Amino acid sequence: MTMQRISRRRLTGLSGLSLLGASLSGWLPRLAAQVQQSGQRPGRSCILLWMSGGPSQMETFDPHPGHENGGPTKSIETSVPGIRIAEHLPKLASQMQDLALIRSMTTKEGDHTRATYYLRTGYLPQGPLTYPALGSLVGRALQVEGADLPACISINPFRALSPAAFTAGFLGPAWSPLVVASDTNADGDVSFQVRNLKPAARLSGGQVDERLRLLGVLEQSFLADRPDAPGRSHLQSYERAVRMMRSESVEAFQLEQEDEVLREAYGRNPFGQGCLLARRLVERGVPFVEVSLSGLAGEAGPGWDTHADNFKAVGDLCGVLDPAWSTLLTDLRQRGLLENTLVIWMGEFGRTPKINDNSGRDHWPGSWSAVLGGGGIRGGQVWGSVSEDGMEVRENPVRVPDLMATICRALGLDPAATNLSSIGRPIPLADHGAVAIEQLLV
Amino acid sequence: MLKLVALLMGVCVCQPPQSVVRLSVAEAAAEVDRLFERSWQSAGVQPAERSSDEEFVRRLYLDLAGRIPAVSEVRQFLGDDRPDKRSELVDSLLDSPAFVRHFTILWRNALLPEAFNDLSSRQLVPGFEAWLWTQFSSGVPYDRMVRDLLTVRVDAGGADGVPALRTASSPAAFYAIRELRPENLAAGTSRAFLGVRLDCAQCHDHPFDRWKQGQFWSLAAFYSGFTPLDQAVRMQSAAGERRDSRTISIPDKGQTVEAAFLEGESPDWSSPRSAREVLADWVTSAKNPWFSRMAANRVWALFMGQGIVHPVDDFSENNPASHPEVLQLLADQLVAHEFDLKFLVRTITATRVYQLSSRQTDVSQSDPLHFARASVRGLTPEQLFDSLAEATGYYQPYRSDNPFVISAETPRGTFLELFRDEGDSPLQKETTILQALAMMNGEFVDAATSLENSQTLGGLVEFPLMTDEERLETLFLAALSRRPLQSERVAMLQYVQQSEAAGVALADVFWALLNSSEFMLNH
Repeated sequence: MTMQRISRRRLTGLSGLSLLGASLSGWLPRLAAQVQQSGQRPGRSCILLWMSGGPSQMETFDPHPGHENGGPTKSIETSVPGIRIAEHLPKLASQMQDLALIRSMTTKEGDHTRATYYLRTGYLPQGPLTYPALGSLVGRALQVEGADLPACISINPFRALSPAAFTAGFLGPAWSPLVVASDTNADGDVSFQVRNLKPAARLSGGQVDERLRLLGVLEQSFLADRPDAPGRSHLQSYERAVRMMRSESVEAFQLEQEDEVLREAYGRNPFGQGCLLARRLVERGVPFVEVSLSGLAGEAGPGWDTHADNFKAVGDLCGVLDPAWSTLLTDLRQRGLLENTLVIWMGEFGRTPKINDNSGRDHWPGSWSAVLGGGGIRGGQVWGSVSEDGMEVRENPVRVPDLMATICRALGLDPAATNLSSIGRPIPLADHGAVAIEQLLV
Repeated sequence: MLKLVALLMGVCVCQPPQSVVRLSVAEAAAEVDRLFERSWQSAGVQPAERSSDEEFVRRLYLDLAGRIPAVSEVRQFLGDDRPDKRSELVDSLLDSPAFVRHFTILWRNALLPEAFNDLSSRQLVPGFEAWLWTQFSSGVPYDRMVRDLLTVRVDAGGADGVPALRTASSPAAFYAIRELRPENLAAGTSRAFLGVRLDCAQCHDHPFDRWKQGQFWSLAAFYSGFTPLDQAVRMQSAAGERRDSRTISIPDKGQTVEAAFLEGESPDWSSPRSAREVLADWVTSAKNPWFSRMAANRVWALFMGQGIVHPVDDFSENNPASHPEVLQLLADQLVAHEFDLKFLVRTITATRVYQLSSRQTDVSQSDPLHFARASVRGLTPEQLFDSLAEATGYYQPYRSDNPFVISAETPRGTFLELFRDEGDSPLQKETTILQALAMMNGEFVDAATSLENSQTLGGLVEFPLMTDEERLETLFLAALSRRPLQSERVAMLQYVQQSEAAGVALADVFWALLNSSEFMLNH
């Protein structure tokens, strides 16, 4: 029996990572020297507003009041003449000049798990390869060397339907998102904290340092002859955890520092406060933050999956979405951050134009909407359109790879740039054949 | 040669296996080792050294008892002079309750992989674990265990349409978690017991494997007697199973198919048994090579970190076995030993391959495909917590009414929650930043490494007859199941002796030990 024809998928990449050599020798002192002061930095960032469950395009950005498929939803004017959106998003309507609406998203994936994976990674699930989510891709591409906060932060994600869509995949654990969950106390105050950030009070700083030094001694002897992924991951995560412990940027999570009025404007709910946190993180140089809107009170679930009672449910969700997103845009703009921050709004698919027997809309991947705004995007326009009954794309269909390519270009990244997968195959940021939508780019 | 191997790997159920000689544990282990030696030679691979006793005792306790050994257990093993002490330890651990518990958790992970993904599924886990517990503690052969699972009555009763399964000891969670949907059950059954990932074929002919949509739905037809859970809720009826149902229509195609086995053979419907019983007969048959190979592969993966076919439940032409003859041997012997899983465990742990060290001495050992070095793999959350408890002397309170229900409020509960992850490959185990922070600064480890609160530490420091060096050695034995290396001994001793309070310094050493990758991994 011969092992010569080892299939490519088995070649584990030892390439690229000589963590052992670089890190193990006194990794702690080197770390301490690298911790930087927080401050404004002019790099690019991305905020993804992820709508779990598949938001209805007809009740958000593509209303059809003239047709029975449009249901009772009315449309309203926006700050851009000629563009109308659904009545549920009045505040956002006044920000249309900074937003580009894509009304012609189209995929074939109507299953939550597959569709979520597709939209979040840009690739369909295939065999053993786990593709990295957008956050990990962008985080890795835009991270500043020696940064003390993780490159990719995920606020209140709802992962249960498609757990594989929320990982760093073949990029490896160093680019895994830091998941932050909110806490709502009895008074309804929302707070975020990274648990266990501080050592016990009785330990002096010196003692903590000594403990880490002893740990370094142990890691050195064990890992030197065991260059396996779990050991590397352990070391990397500890390094990053220590970096976070010692950084000042961690105060980003202290929302009490913000003005009460501003906190109100975002909305006193996990999503609203999550958007505020996103701004604070971007302000401190985090390249990618995603905030999920999964339920009205931040409960985990595909809140936008409105198979029943669609109109009320979407109306309620928009009641949370509208103030949060529009305040986020205003806030970023006022701080001079909007021109360098791409804001993406999307879910995994849209909803059926035909209304079902439960006043609901079911899954509809064939023609739906997504929105891009901020850095790199030419706002105030609509790209693509659907037929009068909403059943099919009429102009400029946008496939997922095209959307990915557009996102990359808006962030100053080359969509054809590649990462090496775990089997050594180069995988581009956007799938082969992707075409960025030039008209949407600045 | 390759052709013969391909034929053996055999995608054909129609050929019954040639009569197989039943081997003893030692004979089977020797044959496995012989096959590996041949493979290493022809690939030019240099295998690692034999594991030291310290490496072996820790690894074996983790693999069989789900926790690291106690200091006394390590000392006893190291001091034992018998030449067969390793296989003796295997036998004694296989007879322990800890083995039953550990295997219950491993098979729960294997059969209910989505269990922790959402809240309603989670509630069904304790009943499933209770069932697994009785299977393993009674020594039920694997084929009978699977047959019970495949034929269990599933009562879709209850006011809210959800089966009343929460506390009953039953494998019905396998069904409930899949919402009683025939397509989910077909995909789940195929994956768990046949090693075939049919999922893609649900909607269309599989893009790069041989399975056609018709075949998928022919398998799903065996489960067509169920009314899927959400429909039952809508209809507000306690939908019983139509046990004779064996046709199903393919959604969106309008085509109806009859139940058939994977290769298309029609079942024998002449005797009055339900569709699922007929399916169970075929799945668990000694003549079904898919079943025995999948079982052997899974047990191999549990001990070696990776299946001979990897991913463990993805047998396909595009994904060949790395050592097909080894897999076939183990599968055949499992059948010859009437599906006694303990036989496989004894055999695998007796091999030179399993007993290799994880220390790399040659670059040819770096590819896990060769099994030329013991793998470094992650621990299950349960293994990690139970090992922490063992090392720190933490007494774990169990709920007396139902030991399988873990309250999220207990240290164990919070810990398990934090360390539960969705990855399925122990070789790619990732530690997250939040996990690192919990280990470094969290309450549990902090209490365990503070003189006032820690059983192990407190006792150690107060015991008057020990030198600092002996105390250090005990800490290493407690956490890492080994004595310190000379370099470590020097560094740690120096630290303790130069500090103002030896007790505090020892606590620091203990903290470092518990946070090391050596502690948190299986190697």
